[in-house]
Amino acid sequence: MDLQISNLSKTYPNGVQASKNVTLTIPVGMFGLLGPNGAGKSTLMRTIATLQEPDSGSIMLGDLNVLTQKHEVRKILGYLPQEFGVYPKVSAAVLLDHLAVLKGITNSGERKEIVEALLVKTNLWEDRKKNLGGYSGGMKQRFGIAQALLASPRLIIVDEPTAGLDPAERNRFLNLLSELGENTIVILSTHIVEDVKELCTNMAVINKGEVLLTGTPSDALENIKGRIWRKQITKDQIENYKNTHNVISERRSAGKPIIHVFSDMQPGEGFTVVEPDLEDVYFSEIFGKNVNAIM
Amino acid sequence: MTWEIFKFELKYRWKRPATYIYFAIMFLLPFLAAAWDQLTIGGAAGQIKENAPHNISFMMLIVTAIPGLLLAAGIMGTPVIRDYEHKTASLFFTTPITKTQYLTGRFLGSFLTAVFVFSGMIWGMALGHLSPWVDPDKLLPFSIWNYLHPFFTLVLPNLFIMSGIFFMGGALSKKMLVVFTQGVGILVMYLISVQFLSDMESQTTAALMDPFAVGTHNYATQYWTVAEKNSQVVPLTGLMMTNRLIWMGLSLLALILTYVFFDFSASRKSKKKKAAATKDSQPKRIASSTVIPSVTQHDGFATNIKQMFGMSWFYFKWIFKQVPFIAILIAGIAIMLNNAQHWGKVYGVFKLPTTYSMLELIQSFNLFFIIIIVMYTGELIWKERDVKMNLIYDALPYPNFVTLAGKFFAMVYMFISLLAILMLTGMTIQAMSGYTDFQIGLYVKTLFSDTLSFLLLFTFLGFLFQSLTNHKFVGHAAFVVFFIATMVFGQLGIEHRMFQFGSTGLGNFSDMNGYGHYVPTFSWFNIYWFGFAGLLFAVALLFSTRGAETAFMMRLKKSRLRLTKPLLTFGLFSMMLFTGSGCYIYYNTNIQNKYTNSDQDEKSQADYEKTLKKYEDIAQPKITDIYLEIDIFPKARDFEARGTYQLKNKTDETISQIHLQYNPDKNITNSVKFGTDATIKEAFEEFDYFIYELKKPLAPGDSLQMDFVTKFDTKGFVESGSNTEVLNNGTFFNNTYFPSFGYSDNFELGDDDTRKEQDLPEKERQRERNDPVGLAQNLLTDDSDRLNLEMILSTSPDQIAIAPGYLQKEWEEDGRKYFHYKMDEPILGFFSVVSAQYEIAKDTWTSENGENVNLEVYYHKGHDLNIDRLMKGMKESLSYFSKNFSPYQYRQLRIMEFPRYRSFAQSFPNTVPFSEDMGFIMDIQEDDIDFPFYVTAHEVGHQWWAHQVTEANVKGNAMLSETMAQYSALMVMKNTYPTEMMQKFLKFEMNSYLRGRSREQKKEQPLELVERQGYIHYRKGAVVMYALQDYISEDSVNIALQRCIKDWAYREDQYITSANLLGYFREVTPDSMQYLIKDMFETITLFENRAKEATYQKSGEEYLVDLDISSIKYRADSLGNETSIEVNDWIDIGVYGEDENGKDKILYLQKHKITKEEMNFKIKVKEKPTKAGIDPINKLIDRNPDDNRMRMTLKENG
Repeated sequence: MDLQISNLSKTYPNGVQASKNVTLTIPVGMFGLLGPNGAGKSTLMRTIATLQEPDSGSIMLGDLNVLTQKHEVRKILGYLPQEFGVYPKVSAAVLLDHLAVLKGITNSGERKEIVEALLVKTNLWEDRKKNLGGYSGGMKQRFGIAQALLASPRLIIVDEPTAGLDPAERNRFLNLLSELGENTIVILSTHIVEDVKELCTNMAVINKGEVLLTGTPSDALENIKGRIWRKQITKDQIENYKNTHNVISERRSAGKPIIHVFSDMQPGEGFTVVEPDLEDVYFSEIFGKNVNAIM
Repeated sequence: MTWEIFKFELKYRWKRPATYIYFAIMFLLPFLAAAWDQLTIGGAAGQIKENAPHNISFMMLIVTAIPGLLLAAGIMGTPVIRDYEHKTASLFFTTPITKTQYLTGRFLGSFLTAVFVFSGMIWGMALGHLSPWVDPDKLLPFSIWNYLHPFFTLVLPNLFIMSGIFFMGGALSKKMLVVFTQGVGILVMYLISVQFLSDMESQTTAALMDPFAVGTHNYATQYWTVAEKNSQVVPLTGLMMTNRLIWMGLSLLALILTYVFFDFSASRKSKKKKAAATKDSQPKRIASSTVIPSVTQHDGFATNIKQMFGMSWFYFKWIFKQVPFIAILIAGIAIMLNNAQHWGKVYGVFKLPTTYSMLELIQSFNLFFIIIIVMYTGELIWKERDVKMNLIYDALPYPNFVTLAGKFFAMVYMFISLLAILMLTGMTIQAMSGYTDFQIGLYVKTLFSDTLSFLLLFTFLGFLFQSLTNHKFVGHAAFVVFFIATMVFGQLGIEHRMFQFGSTGLGNFSDMNGYGHYVPTFSWFNIYWFGFAGLLFAVALLFSTRGAETAFMMRLKKSRLRLTKPLLTFGLFSMMLFTGSGCYIYYNTNIQNKYTNSDQDEKSQADYEKTLKKYEDIAQPKITDIYLEIDIFPKARDFEARGTYQLKNKTDETISQIHLQYNPDKNITNSVKFGTDATIKEAFEEFDYFIYELKKPLAPGDSLQMDFVTKFDTKGFVESGSNTEVLNNGTFFNNTYFPSFGYSDNFELGDDDTRKEQDLPEKERQRERNDPVGLAQNLLTDDSDRLNLEMILSTSPDQIAIAPGYLQKEWEEDGRKYFHYKMDEPILGFFSVVSAQYEIAKDTWTSENGENVNLEVYYHKGHDLNIDRLMKGMKESLSYFSKNFSPYQYRQLRIMEFPRYRSFAQSFPNTVPFSEDMGFIMDIQEDDIDFPFYVTAHEVGHQWWAHQVTEANVKGNAMLSETMAQYSALMVMKNTYPTEMMQKFLKFEMNSYLRGRSREQKKEQPLELVERQGYIHYRKGAVVMYALQDYISEDSVNIALQRCIKDWAYREDQYITSANLLGYFREVTPDSMQYLIKDMFETITLFENRAKEATYQKSGEEYLVDLDISSIKYRADSLGNETSIEVNDWIDIGVYGEDENGKDKILYLQKHKITKEEMNFKIKVKEKPTKAGIDPINKLIDRNPDDNRMRMTLKENG
């Protein structure tokens, strides 16, 4: 079962075009949706999660039309929104149980079992009787994934789940995601390249509502191999290089700027070719092509 | 720095649209109230002008309280909360400003904004009054002072009071809900004080505890006359000053507390860290070895229902944990318990805490129900979005109706719990007063039909508003708009219940008649409104927000997708209920019965006057005999009467036309047949007025027979104002149901404002005292003088039917009961017909001549508490009156109970219908005024004053019947009970008179010219007559009355006036006291008597009292303009001590001639004095009766 997104477009009343003719095929497995803030990831995710209408285009999940058969889709959907809150004075166990009922798990024995299992799975067992108001950001995020996993969903959408988590929590969270079944489509949107690198079998880069690249991470790396160049420069040279080269990223090493430049050939003196990582893929898709276009 | 923060706050507020919206509200509401007749706040009416200072200050207070409370909460609660919500708090708190600077700046900035907003009312009201279309007759010359004075003395202090309290709530809790809860608390204080104010004994407390000073304002001006209301601003003195100081002090305290407890550090530490310490009994479980089990996911209707109830339960628990909810609940119960202290008190006497009165008490919770509905429909609809869980919920696989219906049922659970709590509160109140007849069935029946349906309907409305507006506060505001719109629609003539949302019209409960005929109306209107509510629910469902897109157009687009088959079925079903029941209601109220709104009623009254007034004084024959056969059908609420009038031409002109006026009740149909040929010459169907031309005119002295059939047929049900006289149990109606003769000025419009609208001239309320037409009519009717009456009544076999007259025969026939009554001497043309299921108590009273009078009380089973008091009242009255006035003219006297839809007792010949409410359920304690006894004595008094001595239909006539009946009752009380009870009674009477004149709409009359003004002929009459007999002796008054009766009893040639009666009083009044007649009856005279200083010294065995008094005497004109006149009066000077129980005891009471405004008295008494004063018992009418005596102090010798 694939998720087939075809020609999806959406413009908000304020003129922002959040999706431009998006076409994507998302197979079973972990799928990474990479893009900067404001790229249209959340719009896309919410549309797939039946919460929003596109202006045009279609989304098919196997035989299901996501845009019209919402109820059917919701039955097999697990959704963790980018930002969400909880009832501060309700405990995790109670709220999860309540959500399980709404998910259609009306047999109380089964419900108890799955709620307990998910709480254990997400390491919230110890704190299950605590009011959610006292949870830390990471615990809350784990609670979020627990509710998304109720009733063994076949389509799981997690929107920027690692934003704001400390490294330990982030690891714990990614481990949890990595255990999700092989028969499930998991769409993970993020602006953190590492997340995708560690988890995803397929990925897409999206910016300003447009899909810039799709494929496996290794194909993407292969694609830019030998085209990423590096140079250490001084601070006052940055503007200069930006004007003359395809600077896709600048970082610092021991206080000194290092720039990465996208180029098919040696861009100039002092540049050395580097082994690209996913971050270079991401930045070259987002910035590299822009500069090309200007040039 | 304070300055900077202050400026920042102001700048911020200046940019917020809310500030201007608030200002607009504060401007527009008073503007409309001032300039538009359809919206009224406060009470300009009659002679009180629209822009009278008293009216302006009252309006300002109300506007400050009602929308003002909400706006003040919005402005003053937010400044600190805002910093927390926008997360700018930590930015502020790390800058080098101090706590004082921060709080002062924020407070002052917001307060100034609030002052700006509230100042809107000055300009709104002033411009409203200046609008060119306002009738200049209703206005005084414009004066800005009348607006500024109350704004600065009342509105600004109120604003400061609210500001301090709200600022504290907001700053310390950082939660808006806490601020709103404080608002509810302030409202509760206000409502409690309103209740206190209605009880004469706790008015001072009320005036002090009212945070808005509305009660204080009204208390300070309760005795103000029309002239004073038109000319004086309410001064900032006395209780008003104390109230302002107390509350502003509290507000200041709140600000100090804010300063002390405000935590000026950025981190908001979560206090609940230790909450999780509950011991975990479950074993530890390891994440990696746990497998997520597979579960069955259900779908379909049964699952949805389960989901819905899961949701309801979840939210129900949530509501019950809410602090504001619990606070409102406690506040509501506190109000109920408090109101129970004053509930149904008449003359300081409690009624039994019956279940129906508890149910009425529970209605004082209605305001809180509305608050709960407005708040929690908003909270529930927004709950997921407020906690930002909406996207999670919205992606769950349940249909839309589950959320909305689930939340609806959460409200239902909450209501059921609340009603159960209120029911228990009611039962607790009953049990605390030792009343155990709980009638749980009645509680359940009423609360879970009438109250619950009202709650559910408004919940539907709340959901609709929240769902359509998609903005919580706009949804709340929609409610306010809705209530105002309903009010305005009503004013515009759209009054039918079918347009008043949720109006179902369950009338009062009566032990005698239950909910009686109200039940079908109530049921049909419920079906109607629930059908409508179903539609609202369907619309709310269509437009409810689900998902990320909230713009209305998007939801509109989606709604098409949502119009599923079940929803369509539901909508159509609701539509069917709504329209089906609507048609049926319309058929009943507008086709079977006639529906008119109040504008149409007024117009029709005006047309009646314009068309037929010309016949007012036309000569008509008088009835000399009435024979009636009336069949009453209680179950159907019908009766059929076949009657015969014997008519006699008592005039000296020939009568060729008979003008018949039928009762305009639409249930009544009439047919008549004259003893001679007669044809209808002119018919005014719309006025039920018919002119018959007699073929053979009626010469002076000739007689004519008229046969008629009057049918009263109750058809279906009416929109409102259903007949409460012909009932399933407890029918009581009088002769006005039968044909009468000639134009009746009773149908004319009385209110001069309304008359003006209908282009009619102002109208005198009664004929002048020397009007010959009025002098030839008695007070009750111009259709007859005295007449012979015979009646045969029939009714259902379980009821007893009673009419004036002696029972000739009683029999059963064809399953109906018959009663034949006959009077053996002529009576006034005023008779009653009563039919109900009765128990009977019997007794006999024997006169000094040994004649027996049968006494009977017909009462509802179980209402036997006060039967002895009624019997005693009849006996004592008959004894006193027959000894001191004249013999009793009948051989029987009967009291019969009728349902409490109407609250009065009325004296027909030897027959006194007496409301359930008036005496049967009074719970009289030791020291209480024996209210049933008093009412009985008053009504028995009418057997003399009305039925023996009958007054003419002219000004001042009520001084004969009503004032003399009051005097009679007072004398019986005086002879039966201790003097204190009388004084307590007279205190109530004095208060009612002074308040009554303050509310006079047209003109206050002296007693001898009273124009149907109850506060004069009952209240002032009682006080004045008590004083008269005190000054000239009871015997003298009684001698005058004996002479009056001797000359005037049973006369038909001429009827007595107050002038005649005063003649008899003059005869028995010594010359030195003749001025009393002028002061008491012929003018409006008041005193301002005051004890100024009182001390005492011990001198040997005796005590020497030194008393300074002041006494001012006023004459008032009809508007209450008072001018002082010279005092030259005999007035009581009194000294009190205490008896062993600590009660007041008179040591000295003597009349002294008061000749100067300030006087000093030195009086020796034998016991230790405690109080002294002038006119200490309030025998004279006094502008401030409370300051006549004072506690005295011991003055050390030398």
